Amino acid sequence: MSAPALKLCVQRDRLGLKGPRAAEWLAANGIRVPSTANTWTYSAEVLAAAAAPLVARLGTAEFFLEDVVAGSTLKRISLSLDEHPPGVYPVLREDWAFHLGGDRIHEVLAQVCNVNFAALSLDSRPLIMTLMIGVAALVVPQNGPDEQGGAAGRQYRIWCDPTFGPYLGESLGAVVIECGGSYTGVSG
Amino acid sequence: MMHRLEVHAGEWLDRSVAVRFSFEGREYQGYSGDTISSALAAVGMPYLARSFKYHRPRGILSFANHDSNTLFQVDGVPNVRGDVTLLREGMRVTALNTFGGLWQDKARVLDRFARLLPVGFYYKAFHSKRWFPHWERMFRALTGLGEVNLHAAREATPKRYGFCDVLVIGGGPSGLSAALAAAQSGAQVALVDESPRLGGSDAPPALVRAVQESGSITLYLATIAAGYYADHWVALASPSRMTKMRARAVVFATGVIEQPAVFRNNDLPGVMLASGAARLLARHSVAPGRRVVIIAANLEAYVTCLELHSRGVPVAAIVELRTTAESHSAVTSCAALGLPILQAHAPYEAIRGPDGAVAGLRVAPLNAAGRVDADSSRHIECDAILMSVGWAAAAQLFLQAGGSTQFSEGLQQFIPTELPQGIFAAGRMNGVYDGESRLADGRRAGSQAAAHAGLGVPSSAMVARSARCPSHRFAIIDHPKAKNFVDFDEDLQVKDLENAAQEGFDSSELLKRYSTVGMGPSQGKHSNMNALRVLARFRGVGVDQLGLTTARPMYHPVPMKLLAGRSFYPERRTPIDAQHAALGAVWMPAGNWRRPEFYAVSGESRAQSIDAEVRAVREGVGIIDVGTLGKIEVYGPGAAELLDRVYTGRFSDLKVGMTRYGLMLDESGVIIDDGVIARLAEQMFYFTTTTGGSATVFRELQRLNALWGLDCALVNVTGHRAAFNFAGPFSREVLQELTDIDLRDEAFPYLAVRSGQVAGAAARLMRVGFVGELGYEIHVAAGRGSDVWQALFAAGAPRALRPFGVEAQRVLRLEKGHLIVGQDTDGLTDPNEANALWAVAMKKPFFVGQRSLRILQARGPRQKLVGIELAAATPLPKECHLVIDQGAIAGRVTSVTYSRALNKSIGLAMLSPELAQVGRDIQIRVDNGAMLAARVVAAPFYDPKGLRQKAGLGA
Repeated sequence: MSAPALKLCVQRDRLGLKGPRAAEWLAANGIRVPSTANTWTYSAEVLAAAAAPLVARLGTAEFFLEDVVAGSTLKRISLSLDEHPPGVYPVLREDWAFHLGGDRIHEVLAQVCNVNFAALSLDSRPLIMTLMIGVAALVVPQNGPDEQGGAAGRQYRIWCDPTFGPYLGESLGAVVIECGGSYTGVSG
Repeated sequence: MMHRLEVHAGEWLDRSVAVRFSFEGREYQGYSGDTISSALAAVGMPYLARSFKYHRPRGILSFANHDSNTLFQVDGVPNVRGDVTLLREGMRVTALNTFGGLWQDKARVLDRFARLLPVGFYYKAFHSKRWFPHWERMFRALTGLGEVNLHAAREATPKRYGFCDVLVIGGGPSGLSAALAAAQSGAQVALVDESPRLGGSDAPPALVRAVQESGSITLYLATIAAGYYADHWVALASPSRMTKMRARAVVFATGVIEQPAVFRNNDLPGVMLASGAARLLARHSVAPGRRVVIIAANLEAYVTCLELHSRGVPVAAIVELRTTAESHSAVTSCAALGLPILQAHAPYEAIRGPDGAVAGLRVAPLNAAGRVDADSSRHIECDAILMSVGWAAAAQLFLQAGGSTQFSEGLQQFIPTELPQGIFAAGRMNGVYDGESRLADGRRAGSQAAAHAGLGVPSSAMVARSARCPSHRFAIIDHPKAKNFVDFDEDLQVKDLENAAQEGFDSSELLKRYSTVGMGPSQGKHSNMNALRVLARFRGVGVDQLGLTTARPMYHPVPMKLLAGRSFYPERRTPIDAQHAALGAVWMPAGNWRRPEFYAVSGESRAQSIDAEVRAVREGVGIIDVGTLGKIEVYGPGAAELLDRVYTGRFSDLKVGMTRYGLMLDESGVIIDDGVIARLAEQMFYFTTTTGGSATVFRELQRLNALWGLDCALVNVTGHRAAFNFAGPFSREVLQELTDIDLRDEAFPYLAVRSGQVAGAAARLMRVGFVGELGYEIHVAAGRGSDVWQALFAAGAPRALRPFGVEAQRVLRLEKGHLIVGQDTDGLTDPNEANALWAVAMKKPFFVGQRSLRILQARGPRQKLVGIELAAATPLPKECHLVIDQGAIAGRVTSVTYSRALNKSIGLAMLSPELAQVGRDIQIRVDNGAMLAARVVAAPFYDPKGLRQKAGLGA
């Protein structure tokens, strides 16, 4: 048993891509992409899959990628975007990212979002785009542990617009703390 | 007088724990498990409240949290519901709506003037304009319930979302069996009941245990399903939180609500619903009186009599409205016990005792036509009158859910007829009254609900509705002296409703609105059915021809704190927020952003600080965080065409590396947004929108792009980019130290855009002139914003760089005569009226709003935005003060400020075209009615040729 914990994850590279040839371009750069929208995968099959960038397919032609801490994959592929490949449009992603894990996380989420996370099946690696206490958020449920450490069990990675980051962190953190957990992040 | 009885096995009290409390300043004692109402009843309080209009004494009516008689002010909290609020040690309870306390309420005199307060009297009172203020003051003073403590601490209550396969509303026998049947089909069930304990009044204990022990049923007790929303989303209000329950199917086992008999003085303390008396007796061992009369019109009356008798409470008489009661063991038992049963009798008038409570009942026989023979009436001494004459389906939520009902003559009750998808009804609310049938109906509904949720096989059982009629057809007794109340909340008598109908308000909807029947805290739970019966009689039609009104959510009052929840407010902060705070920012809301209004400096007033910020920009260098501007990128071969279609200007011919002002219209030709569009590459544009417009503009462009099928993609990077306007005569000099971009005019002219590095961060620079000085908008990734801001600050220090806030920016832009969309324009302003036709390329084949704009241009402007200046020493009007011409409104001030640079007060005003002539004098009416003189002048006011921003003059 572990208390719910919310952590702000700052040190990661992120990249968005849009455009009719974005999927093709990612594949050409060695990035495995999810075959259907609203799902995610790791960019490569490796022994420790969680050590590879996460690739989320937000729509038919829209992707969000997040590298691991100190990862180099996104830096590498971003360089070739400077050549303006046709049909591939880079999207600046300066999201605030959170990691929510521990027990009672579904009690936390039930207070901030109308998605029934507890009922989600993770087999298809679902990606949830939802409103969380009034803020548009991207949520990836995972079964831990991932590189964040912590105990095995359901965990959530949450991204939001950076200008809503302080609000979401403080508000979600307050609920986590009220549920007996902790928030590691910044305030103000 | 009510009083406490000996210990009873099933009571909800812990008599080992005494609880002290005060009521109206006097100390009393109850037990743990008592509610406020039960404790007051147990100590024999003659009455607990004053009525809303006539200030008549009132006592417990329903003991079900349904009526307004037991609302109290408790420890400063208004409208606490005494029937269900548990007693706490030291609780300070007072009555509501009194002037001088419950016992000496000065307003009780109003009862004597009841005939001066007829139905709809306030509508009639307000008819006179002259007397309107008088009546308003008087009504405001007299009306209202509890007293709100404006200094009360905020109580944040968590809300939560809940999810279940089947939601069962009602924890009586049919609700319990529905929940169990659904659970046995494999459903996750949520069971809601307003009582803190399961079972209703008569559920089999084994069934209660089975539900409690089921691992698939989550109980929500002391919780009210108060509102129904689309897709089976139900608001569950518990004492501490609101739960938004999403169900796949809902079973309404909401039961029935007992209805009062209507007779003279039926509101006296001591007259109460029999079901309420039964609850008081069973749960709190409180006898309703020492000598009780029951008004009977159904079987339940006799069952209550037997319960009273078994607890030693004397029953003086059973006043049976019917000629004969049904054949049932409860009836024969009452007869066998020798309880006097007066067949075909009616209550004619309750008699008030010296303490204000009931002291007797005058009963009269009913003739063959069902009319009261008042001449043959007689008096029965009693101190409690219990009413057991009928029920109304608790169908409010069912109706909200889209269900429809039909009045059953046989049952004298509205029963469900059409059930929306996923909605099921069971039990007494469904017209099924008798024991085993209610259980069977619950099982049927639970099984069918689970099947609707995809679990199990639906029951095909058919459960017949009751053969007996549990409600009297017309338990309403006329009396020449009236005071026979239909609505206890609103003090409405039979004659009030008849008079309302007589005045033409003769439908159930009109009657409700005119008379206010059903609009009090009870929301018609005890009054709507009787009001319908009165109306039906008046119109000579059946109740079935009138229909029920549908209560809106929340149909049962809930505390505001539950609705407010935690009061989350999604506030946006730019990446520079911490720096602003450190610099002394005084915040102001701008949409959902917080922005520095100005930066407070020790020793300076607000005006001095703003003035200094303006001066820094005009004479040195200033920086403002404009990260709140909408920032959108559009890529692809169709990007230019998209912009050509959505903006009034032409962008397909915009050169790479240049920017152009853009104006956006809606389909009716009204200005809705503006911004600067930059062409970064042949197929790549970057543009800004207003702070408040970013989300809606992006959404609309996405919609239009999908509609038109253009080969381009939009990206909203509003939050992902920081942006600053770095402006002032020395801005170039300072900025050049930090960037690899050549800032000289020949390399970076006015209105150009360049990409490069600023303080080591990849940046886009736009040379724009919103504040009228040489200036650069610097856009960088949000994560680098703070570093760049600090680098600019450090570099600008030798030039006394100063941050400036929104107020200084408003002064600066107004000196330049630049409009702000939404402030200087309104929901009708077109580009012609805003003097912005220069930004419109009418020759383009198409842009949104073009067709309407042509029509508007042909018609001519209805108003014109012009510059104004005020004479020296004239006080500043406020924005939105009206311009008056020949006694009529001829325009309004949209922006106004004092300009130190110009040494005069200037502004913008939207005027009628006749006034909008340079040199024309106008009059502005201010708050106190005084008129200020102003003159229409040409704008811009400052640097009209724009040389400072274009050529960088001033350094």
